[in-house]
This record gives sequence, structure tokens and C-alpha cells, in this order.
Amino acid sequence: MAGKFGNAIRYLLGNDPAERNLTTYPDDTFIVSYPKSGNTWTRFLVASLIHSDEPLTFLKADQVIPSVDSMSRKFFKNMPRPRVIKSHFPFDQTYKRVIYIVRDPKDVAVSQYHYQIKRKVLQDGHPMEEFVPRFVAGETCPYGSWGENVGSWVAARRTNPDFLLLRYEDMIRQTDVELTKIARFLHIDPEPGRIRRAVEQSTADNMRKMEQKEAGKWESTKDTRKDKFFVRSAKAGEGKTALPSACIAQIEGAWGGLMQYLGYDLISGQTPTDARVVESILEPASR
Amino acid sequence: MMYGLKYIAKRLLGTDIVGRDFAVYPDDTFLVSYPRSGNTWTRFLIANLVYPDKDVSFLNIERLIPDTSSQSNRAMRSTPRPRLIKIHEYFDHRCRKIIYIVRDPRDVVLSYYDFQRKYRHFEDGYPLERYVDDCIQGRLNSAGWGTWGENVASWLYTRGKTKDFLLMRYEDMMENPARELTRVAAFLGIDSDPTRIQNAVAKSSADKMREMEKRESSQWVATKNHRQDIPFVRVAKAGGWREKLPASCVAKIEAAWGDIMIDLGYELSTASEPKTLVLREQVEVR
Repeated sequence: MAGKFGNAIRYLLGNDPAERNLTTYPDDTFIVSYPKSGNTWTRFLVASLIHSDEPLTFLKADQVIPSVDSMSRKFFKNMPRPRVIKSHFPFDQTYKRVIYIVRDPKDVAVSQYHYQIKRKVLQDGHPMEEFVPRFVAGETCPYGSWGENVGSWVAARRTNPDFLLLRYEDMIRQTDVELTKIARFLHIDPEPGRIRRAVEQSTADNMRKMEQKEAGKWESTKDTRKDKFFVRSAKAGEGKTALPSACIAQIEGAWGGLMQYLGYDLISGQTPTDARVVESILEPASR
Repeated sequence: MMYGLKYIAKRLLGTDIVGRDFAVYPDDTFLVSYPRSGNTWTRFLIANLVYPDKDVSFLNIERLIPDTSSQSNRAMRSTPRPRLIKIHEYFDHRCRKIIYIVRDPRDVVLSYYDFQRKYRHFEDGYPLERYVDDCIQGRLNSAGWGTWGENVASWLYTRGKTKDFLLMRYEDMMENPARELTRVAAFLGIDSDPTRIQNAVAKSSADKMREMEKRESSQWVATKNHRQDIPFVRVAKAGGWREKLPASCVAKIEAAWGDIMIDLGYELSTASEPKTLVLREQVEVR
């Protein structure tokens, strides 16, 4: 009851984290992804686009593109519109305009594993063979499994013009091209100079420098191990070499259909067990 | 602020309506569908199957298989476990065991149109063409459930092939309710003795449900205080759209959700391919 009262007071004052209770507006744009899929990088790119003249920091990115989990309802209410907001939630119909970033789940698994070591959730040398089955079951993070999170958004919105789906791998390969898509989606002038400046401000090297300065204050890094970077490899394709082949087979067995739909090659030879988006959802008998 | 106070008082007392915000237990089973897809019928079938000795009616259905959109958090907590819970929510990853009922969207819109008139969401004479646009664009009063396509796809393509997911088509249930209820029984681990199945089917027939509705509609939470001249239990038929839904509406629905419909075995009547993209193309084009 006491805890409930605390929550009640916070709610009355609007100081409770917005989470699923966020009031959304039609002109909001959401940057959504499963965790460890390039969301922070994208936020930096977009924040640099929006405030193209000022230097960027982690703390400032949190203000310019706040996360539904860490800011209060009051903060969101007072934000100037149109707002750009970060979220990791699976499909939410109240988000009308969405930039969804997807990354090869093999790489996501590796990244999440290292982030949990940084956050002291896992110990150094924790066996990957133990981590990956829990990752596949969606037990390592509160936003559903990778397949549930990605699948729910892609299935619900894939044909909607207000849904911009970007692959982390494409963003790595041709950052300027992908950022130009984002700029157009946000009705920001994709002037090449502006795009280039945003890309340069948000390189992995620059972000690591900022991280070193701000790690003690930034929400996602304070109280975590300082011998590991939040901005880690910033590369594509790491899972292929970093994961034992049994783990790759587990991931591709669980989500191979969705991965193929997204253009990710399967390398394990494992037959996918999930429903590829839009393809024979019925059992053969009832078809 | 006043609204906030009222909400908090309700919350503290546990009388707030559940909505999306409810505690999920690992042994819960969810009866999920988009509205007007046969969920209430299925609730009766299952309640009659699970409680063969009870007189299942609109008066006790909320206690047997509560509906999160009308029941309070306290009522949910006092439902005996393992709970069977009815929801219309789109994908919620916390829900593990799912019976998902799907119905041809061309019939759903017709049924929903009557239902929303019953609820006075709009008056008689609201143009059906406009209503179908509202459905597709997500502009309904009940937009919180997502559109038909969003709701169905968000569940099917995340859980569709997992062992804790049972997909039921309303049309198959109409064709052979006993066969489909036997599938449910197996899924729930309930004895599927043919007599027991037949009894549950007979007790949940459209006629029986209409009789109950006549007697109880002024007391059931989903029908009281709404227009009594439009029934909740409507035609209870599959394929009514062929006569009642204008071709232009059919075409719009098939263009919006055609690929999901094909996937569910619903034949399209328009010759043109649905205007949906596969992602690979989308990535290249944009």
C-alpha cells in the first residue's frame, strides 16, 4: 500500500515514467528498436540533424530524443512538438509514425551479452551457450524476444507509409543514404552538407570519446563497469564468428523465417520453425 | 487533475478497469481476437466445456472467463487459477498461452458496424463506405485494439507457429463447432469426451445465446445501457459480406489486408493482387 501511495503521488504530479501511459500525438515520430540494435547511434544521427549547429552529448541526446522508459509524463507533456521519442516496446498502435531499426539477431545476442557483463548482470566469461537459449526465449530483456519485438512491428505496419524500416547493417554500410531516408521521413531538408556533418558527429570514435566524458552521468552507463564501452564494436556480422555454431542454429531455428524476410542470410542450415511474415500460417490440415 | 484523483482512488481500491495493464500469471490462458470475431461465442463454448454443471449465461460469464476491457483489477485477481481471460489486445508478449480466433475481415466490418451503432458510437445512416475507411485507417472509437490487420498480424507472425498458440477460424467453427471445440479441449488439456463436447456446443448455440441475451441484456456489462433494438448476438453466419458489403468496400479491405487474408485461407474476390510490398523491395525502393 505504501508503495502504491508513492506511485499515486508520482502519478498526480506527472512524475511517473511515461512507459505505456505516454499520451501520443499524430505528429510524434518514434525511433523504435529491440535493445542493442543501433538505437543510440540513430538517436545521435537524428539529434545532430535536428540541431545541426550545436555539439552533441549523451545527456543532450536524452533531452532531444527522450526515452519513454526514463522520462516522466510531465517531461513529455512539456516537450516542444513535433516530438521525436525513443522506445523499445513491441508493437504499440498509439505510435503512428515509426522509424524501426532492425539488426541481425546473431549480432544483437553478442551485443546484449557484452552489455549485460558491463552492467554486472553477467560475469566475465559467462558461457555463451547458457546465454543464447535465454535470449531466444526472451528472458534476457523486458521487451519480448527479438522475434516477438521485430515480428510484431513488421507484421503490423510493413505496408504503412508511416513506417520506415531500416537495417543497422545498411546504416553501417551507407550511413549517408540511410540518414537521408530518415531526414525525408522527418521532413528535414536532406542537404548533403548537413547529412555529412551529422554522420561525422556520430562516428563510433566520436561517440566513444563522449562516452568517456559522460559515462558517470548518463543513465545507461552510470553504475556500470567502466572498463567496458557502451559503444562497443559498432560493426556488422560479429555474431557469425563470436557465437558457437549451436547458438547460431538456435537463433536461426527460432526466427529464420523472419530473418529471411528481412534479408538476412541463414548460415546454420537449421530449418526455421517460425512463421515467415505472410506465408502459410495455417497448418496444412486446415488449409 | 480531478481525473487523476479519481483514477488513483480507483486504483488504490482495485476497482479500475484492467485494460492493457494487468498482472499476468504463467498459467493464464488468453482467449484473444479482434472484436466481432466470435470471441463471445467461443467464451460460451469453453465455459460450457470447462464447467459442464454450471448454467453459463451472460450473468456469470464475466466471473468464469473475465474480459479485461470491462472487469476491474480486483475482479481479475479474485478469478480462480488457472485463469481463462478474454482480451481483444494486439500482441502482448507477456501472454504466453493463446487461443486466437480470427474471422474474415469482410464479415467483421459488417458486424462491427452494427455493434458500433448499438453502442451509439455513431448514428444509423453513417455511410458504410466511410466506416470501412475508418476501419482500415484505424479511426474507430475503439482504435485501441489496432486495426484488424495490425491485431491479427501482430499475433500471427510472432506466435503463429509456437506450441502455446492455437489458431481458430470463425468459419471453421461455424462449419463444425464440435471438431473445433475438440481442438480447444486438447489445447487446454481437458477431457474431450464427445458427449461433453456436444453438450457444450448445444448449450452455446446462436438460438440459446439469443434467448439469454433477451433475458439478460439489461444486466450484462457489454450490453446494458446500450441500444436494445440492435442485438449483440447478430447473424452468427459466415460470408454475409457477399450480399451485404458493396464491391468498393470489399476491394479496399482486400487491398489493405489481402496478403494476411490469403495466408489465413480467405479467398480474395478482387482480381488484382493486394498492394502489399515484400520488405526486400521496400528496402531497395525507399
